[in-house]
Amino acid sequence: MTQALIQMNDVHFRYPGSEEWVLKGASLEVEKGEFLAIIGNNGSGKSTLCKAMNGLIPHYYAGDVKGAVSVNGKEAFTSAVAVLSQEVGYVYQDFEQQLMRPTVLDDVAFAPLNFGKPDYKEKALWALEILDLMHLKDQSIWSLSGGQKHLTAIAGALALDPGIIIVDEPVAQLDPYHAKKIYEKLKELNEKHGKTIIVIEHHTEFIADYARTLLLMKDGQVNWKLPVHEGLSRVQELMGLGIYPPQVTQLAAGLNEQRNMSYPITLEQGVSFFQPIPKEVRALSRQMVNGEKNALKTIEAEDVSHHVRTMAGDKKTILNNISLTFGEGEKVALVGTNGAGKTTLLKALAGLSRPSDGEIRVEGNPIRKIRVSDLSDHVAYVFQNPEEMMIQDTVEKDLSFFSRSRGRLEKDQAFLSELSTSFNLHDLSKRDARLLSGGQQRRSSMAIGVAMRPMVLLLDEPTASLDIVSRREMTRMLHKTSDHCKTVIVATHDMELVAEWATRVIVMEEGEVIFDGSPRSLFQDEKTWKKANLRPPQIVELSLQLGCKPVFLSVKEMEEAMKVGAALECMA
Amino acid sequence: MSAWREKLSVEYVKMELMKTAIGNRDTFLAQLDPRILIIWYLAVSIVPWFTFNEWILFTLVVFTSILAIISKVSPLILGLLSFGVVSEIGWITVVVLFFGGDITAFLALLTFTMKITIMSIASIAVFASMDPEKLSDALISFGVPAQFGFGVSYGYRMLPILLDEYQHIFQSFLMRGKGPEKKGVLGWRMAVYYGKIMVLAFYPMILNVAKRTRTTVEALEVRGFPYSLHSKEAKKQKLSYMKVGAGDLVFLGGTMCFLLMIFSGIPYFTA
Repeated sequence: MTQALIQMNDVHFRYPGSEEWVLKGASLEVEKGEFLAIIGNNGSGKSTLCKAMNGLIPHYYAGDVKGAVSVNGKEAFTSAVAVLSQEVGYVYQDFEQQLMRPTVLDDVAFAPLNFGKPDYKEKALWALEILDLMHLKDQSIWSLSGGQKHLTAIAGALALDPGIIIVDEPVAQLDPYHAKKIYEKLKELNEKHGKTIIVIEHHTEFIADYARTLLLMKDGQVNWKLPVHEGLSRVQELMGLGIYPPQVTQLAAGLNEQRNMSYPITLEQGVSFFQPIPKEVRALSRQMVNGEKNALKTIEAEDVSHHVRTMAGDKKTILNNISLTFGEGEKVALVGTNGAGKTTLLKALAGLSRPSDGEIRVEGNPIRKIRVSDLSDHVAYVFQNPEEMMIQDTVEKDLSFFSRSRGRLEKDQAFLSELSTSFNLHDLSKRDARLLSGGQQRRSSMAIGVAMRPMVLLLDEPTASLDIVSRREMTRMLHKTSDHCKTVIVATHDMELVAEWATRVIVMEEGEVIFDGSPRSLFQDEKTWKKANLRPPQIVELSLQLGCKPVFLSVKEMEEAMKVGAALECMA
Repeated sequence: MSAWREKLSVEYVKMELMKTAIGNRDTFLAQLDPRILIIWYLAVSIVPWFTFNEWILFTLVVFTSILAIISKVSPLILGLLSFGVVSEIGWITVVVLFFGGDITAFLALLTFTMKITIMSIASIAVFASMDPEKLSDALISFGVPAQFGFGVSYGYRMLPILLDEYQHIFQSFLMRGKGPEKKGVLGWRMAVYYGKIMVLAFYPMILNVAKRTRTTVEALEVRGFPYSLHSKEAKKQKLSYMKVGAGDLVFLGGTMCFLLMIFSGIPYFTA
C-alpha cells in the first residue's frame, strides 16, 4: 500500500491556555509532488494546520492535541522538530523576521550549519543557485529588497533539501511583480526538483495560475480538497466565505455561463471563453468617461529631488525632479514597484523628510518654514506599518491624541465619536491597538490620520498584508476619508484599489513620474504598465485581450455591459 | 548652513551608527583574527591602570588614536568622543580651581581621564573593525554560551530595524503632538519637549519590535538553532573558519613589545 507524503487523521488542537479548539478534526492527504493551495477565512486554522505538519504543533506550541499526523512515514507527534524540519521547510508570512544572519550566504547556511552538516556551505550555495541568488550571496540582509528577502527566506528553507516546502501567504507583503517571480520559482521547485509545495494564499488568481490542488479550511476542518479548476468554480460557496475567485471566474458566474460544469479560471481561459465579444459591448465601453481634474490647488511639489548616500558612500537618487500639483476632491493613487520612491515622496509632502532640492507648498505656502506639528494641521501622513501610528495604549487615546495636544478635545469630541462610528472602532476603543488584528489595526491607523482633520491625507500602503475581506473593507473606508479631507493620496500596490477608488493615478519608476492620468487611461496603455512592472486587475487584461477600449475596470462594470450588450445584440 | 544641515541629518547619524556597528571590512584591524583582537583589546585597556606616569599614558593615547584613524572610525563617533574628553578636561579645570587645588590635583584627575580615554578609543578601534559575526564567534570560541553569542549578532542585526522604528515613532509624536508655542531662552522649552518625546518614543518601539520577534523565536526552532546548542559538531564547523595566522601573532607580539618598551623606557627618561 502506498502511503501519502503527508497524512493527517482527525487532528484536534487547541493552543495552550485557550478554551477553543482551532483544529476540530482535520483530515487530509497530500501526495508527493503536489502543488497545493490552502484557502479559508481568518481564524479557519490554515496556519495551525501547516504548523502541525512540521512539528511546531505540538512540540513548540504545547497545547492539547488529538489525532495523528505522519510526514514522509514519520510520526509527527512523536518526532522532534529537528527531524521534521528536515522534511518540511517553512517560510513565514513575515519572512523578514525569519532572516537571522547578516549576509545572504550566512543566513541560507544557518539551518544546515545548525544541524552540523559538513557540507553546509555547498548546500547553501546549491539553494542559492536554484533560486538565482548567487549574485547576492555576500550582500547584507538589510540592503535587500522585499522580493529578494523572500527568496532568501525560501533558500534558507530549501538548503536543508526538504521534500515539502510550505509558504505562508507569499503575496501579502510583496508587490505583484515580485510575487509573480516568487511563484515562478516555486513552480520550478515543484516541477524540476520534485518538491511538494504548499501555499496558504488569498489571491485566487495566483492559485489559478500555479497551484494544481485546492483545499478549503473552514472552522478548523478540511472542508474539501479538489483540483484547482473544480475548487475555484464553486464561486457562490467561496464568495459566501469572503474568498473572491479570479475575476474572469466571477464574471462568468455573474453571467451564469457555465460550460462543461466549470468556469474559466485563468486569463487565457477567460479570453477563449468570452470570445468573440459582441461589438455592442465594445461600443459601450467607449461611453465611459472620467471626471475632470479640479482646479483648486491643495498641495504641490515643484522640481523636488532627493538624494541619499548609501552604505558604500555612493550617491543615490531617490526622487528626480518631481513636479506635481494636487487639487481639491482628488483621490490619487501613487503606484510603482518597491523602491520607486513613493514613500519618500509622501514623507516629503508631509514635511517628515526634507528633500535635497525643490519646494513643496501647501495652499501656496512653502512648507520649509513650517514646523511639522503646525504642518500636520493641514497634511497628515499615515505610516505603512500601522503600529507606528500607535503611540498611546488605547485606540481611543490614539484617536484623540492630536486634539488633546492642541487643547481642543472638548470641541472635537463629537467629530471623534462620529469618526469612531464610521470606522467601526467603537467596540475596540478601550483596547491597545497593537494587539488588534491586521485589518483592525489598519482601520485604526487610517482613522487616526483622519482624526487630525487634515486637508491632505497621505496613506502609505493601507491595504498591504491584508486578506481580501479586510482589503475590501479598507477600500470602503477610503471612500469615507474624502468626506473629511480635500485631497487623499495613497501609495499602493493594490491595483483593484486603484481601479475601484482612485480618480487619478501617478506611476513612479526609479524616482521619476512616468504616467499621470486616470486609472482607465493607465490600464489601457499596456506599454506603460508593463514598463513599470505593474499588474492591472485581471478584468482589465481580459478587456484588453478582447479588444475593449477603453477597458472595463471592475467585474461589475463588465458584467453590466455584457448584459446590456447581449440585449442590444438580440434587438439588432 | 544648508550644507551643515545636510551633513548632520538624522539619516547621516543613522548611517554612521550602522557603519560603526557592522564594522569596516577592509581596514587593517578587520583582517586580524577576532580572538587576537579581543585579547589585544583587553591588554591595552587593562595596562594603563598599572601606571600613574602621564607620559606613558599620553603615548598610549597617541598609539590608540593612530589605530583608530587607521581603522577609519566614523567622524561622528570620534567627534562625540573628543567632545566628551574636552568637556571633561574643562570640568576638571573648573573643579580644581574652585576647590583651590593646584597643578598636582589637576594632573591626578587628568591621568584618570586619560585612562578612560585609552579604553574608549581602543574599544572604538576594535569594535568598529570587527564584524559582529566575528565578535560573536570569537566569544563562543572563548566558551561563552552560544545563546549569548547569538544574542550579540542578532542584536546587531536588529539595530537598523530598531533605529527605523524609533525614528518613525518619534515622527508620529512630532506630527500629532504639539510643541511649546514659545521656544524659551536658548530654546530650552523646545529642548525639554524633544527630550520628553525621545523618552516616550522608546516604549512603543520596544513593544512593536518585541511583538515581531515572536516569529523569529519560532523560526529559530524550525531552523535548528536549539539543536545546534547541544551539538559539538555544529559548533566545530561554525568556528572552523577562524585561524590565527602569522600576521595576528606579529601584531599581538609587536604590541606587547611596544607596551614593554614604553613601560620600562619612559619612566627611565622622565625620572
